[in-house]
Amino acid sequence: MRTVSVDGGIADHPLSPPTGPLAARTRGLRKTYGPTVAVDHVDLDVPEGAVLGMLGPNGSGKTTTIRMLLGLVRPTAGEATLLGHAMPDEAGHALPDVGALVEGPGFHPFLSGRDNLLRLAAAEPRLGGGDIPGAVDDALERVGLTAAARRRYRGYSLGMKQRLGLAAALLVPRRMVVLDEPTNGLDPAGTREIRSIIAELHASGVTVLVSSHLLAEVEATCTHVAVLHAGTVVAQGELAELLETGNPGLVVSTPDTTAAMEALRGGRIPSRLVPEGVRADLTAATAPEVVACLVRAGVPVHEARRARTGLEDLFARLTQGETNGEDRPERDGLSDVVETDGEDT
Amino acid sequence: MTTQVLAGTGSRAPHAPTVRLLRAELHWIFHRPRTLVVLGLLAVLPVIVGVALTLADSPGPPGDGPGGEGGGSLLASAAGNALVLPVGTLAMTLALLLPLAAAMAGADALAGESAHGTLRGWLLAPVSRGKLLLVKAFGVATVAATAAFTMALTGMLTGLVINGGGTLFTLSGTTLSFPAAIGKVAVAAAWVSLQLWAVGAVALAISAWTEHPMLVVASVLAGIVLFSVLGLLDALSWLHPVLLNDSWQIALADVLRDPMPLDTLGEGALRAACYLAIGLSVAYARLTTKDG
Repeated sequence: MRTVSVDGGIADHPLSPPTGPLAARTRGLRKTYGPTVAVDHVDLDVPEGAVLGMLGPNGSGKTTTIRMLLGLVRPTAGEATLLGHAMPDEAGHALPDVGALVEGPGFHPFLSGRDNLLRLAAAEPRLGGGDIPGAVDDALERVGLTAAARRRYRGYSLGMKQRLGLAAALLVPRRMVVLDEPTNGLDPAGTREIRSIIAELHASGVTVLVSSHLLAEVEATCTHVAVLHAGTVVAQGELAELLETGNPGLVVSTPDTTAAMEALRGGRIPSRLVPEGVRADLTAATAPEVVACLVRAGVPVHEARRARTGLEDLFARLTQGETNGEDRPERDGLSDVVETDGEDT
Repeated sequence: MTTQVLAGTGSRAPHAPTVRLLRAELHWIFHRPRTLVVLGLLAVLPVIVGVALTLADSPGPPGDGPGGEGGGSLLASAAGNALVLPVGTLAMTLALLLPLAAAMAGADALAGESAHGTLRGWLLAPVSRGKLLLVKAFGVATVAATAAFTMALTGMLTGLVINGGGTLFTLSGTTLSFPAAIGKVAVAAAWVSLQLWAVGAVALAISAWTEHPMLVVASVLAGIVLFSVLGLLDALSWLHPVLLNDSWQIALADVLRDPMPLDTLGEGALRAACYLAIGLSVAYARLTTKDG
């Protein structure tokens, strides 16, 4: 499979050496529902201690992959390992140390938030009977639901429901936490709280697997990223690596692209035409030098901005593919996009 | 890259105590408004029947009891009889209302929980799927038995209050002592519970296949009605031994005889046990293979 290589990653990254132990791992994972292939050839590595963002448009197989990883769904083919245990057969060994919020929060409407958590806590193998009320109250406090704890779940807002789901995942100190679209329905303040909870978990060494269709969210919280598209992993590695894939560039929009190309050629700055204007390569020159060169040649410059990085570019194309429906780019082509920094954007 | 095996896979997986799960399940069931409403209505029913029979004021002389063709005819002899009222109302409601309650409990247990996404919570805890079925079956069984025994209790109390303790007549014409009457009513309630467990097990089996509780209740009720109709057709008499509700009314009338004939009761119990085993097996097979 083609993925972005992560060897020689950022040297000072302490928590995720590429060759370290993995908290979760899948190989050749495949799930079909009748004739529909939900995911195929998913080889996912979640390093221990990492915050891995699973990025992909709706229907790209994020939730299905997570469900197989958690043993809720038996794969059609391939293997999934969670905390060293084969899933789903050894789920009993792995899951006590894993907290999860999958496919939205699921609770009983007629019970209070607290009663709902008490019911879930009763099934937690790691909780002694006497510790249950304390663990429930701690989890409620952690997600800011203490005031609403005794209200019926029926009356909760979408954000409160989401928080309760998060509280359920945090009932017990975990080694791994899996959050499927955790910021769904949350206001900006709620989103920030989720981020800070993820950061806390990360700081205490907990592995976090978080899925999202928002690149900005992943950028803000994750150390690692895996991009899914049409049921397969098209790129994965450290976030910083993926963001910096390809040569840096400056896109200059100008009405006179011919003059701009000539001026840059004269300045010995590699450049080419792109739909928005002219893209100058920044490996040989800095952005001010490019602009100065153009201005000196009398080329009108409307706007100059950094070209999108590999991940942004890849992700933009994936989401475009989603809105355009049929117009989905070839998978292998997409992998190439990451490696070559979108030559044909 | 190799993953580290971080815990002995051969050792027993940690799990929450079963008693704790059973208690949590009962807490959930008996805090659900609809459970309480259904149980409350069933508890009031014998009172209503008792009062209605008294107001109609047509006490038939003891001993002319019918052959037990149906709950209605059994109830005809319940007026002025403290023993027949509880068993008669059980027979009447066993025709449809009590199975409805059992089906509802079975529907909520798996299909309802799936629909709310709450089954996932316990599967992820994790609770093994076999254990989950055990807990669910226990919950349904508790609801069914609670319904049967509550009705028996309120029926008995109503009968005693309206007719007095001296009216504990059997259908055979004998008069029972108070403890013996309690015993007979308890036998009726226990036998009804067993029949309801059979219905509940079938409901659980259907419940494991769907996310729509309504579908479970509708299927079970349709089955009960269908069985009742088939049971009326003499041309299908070869089929009657496998119909769960074939001898429900006769068996409950038998409880009120002195001495109590055991053949119909025993046959009904055996039939219910078969339905129970089949229903739970199907539910187990489905629950352990389905996607959670």
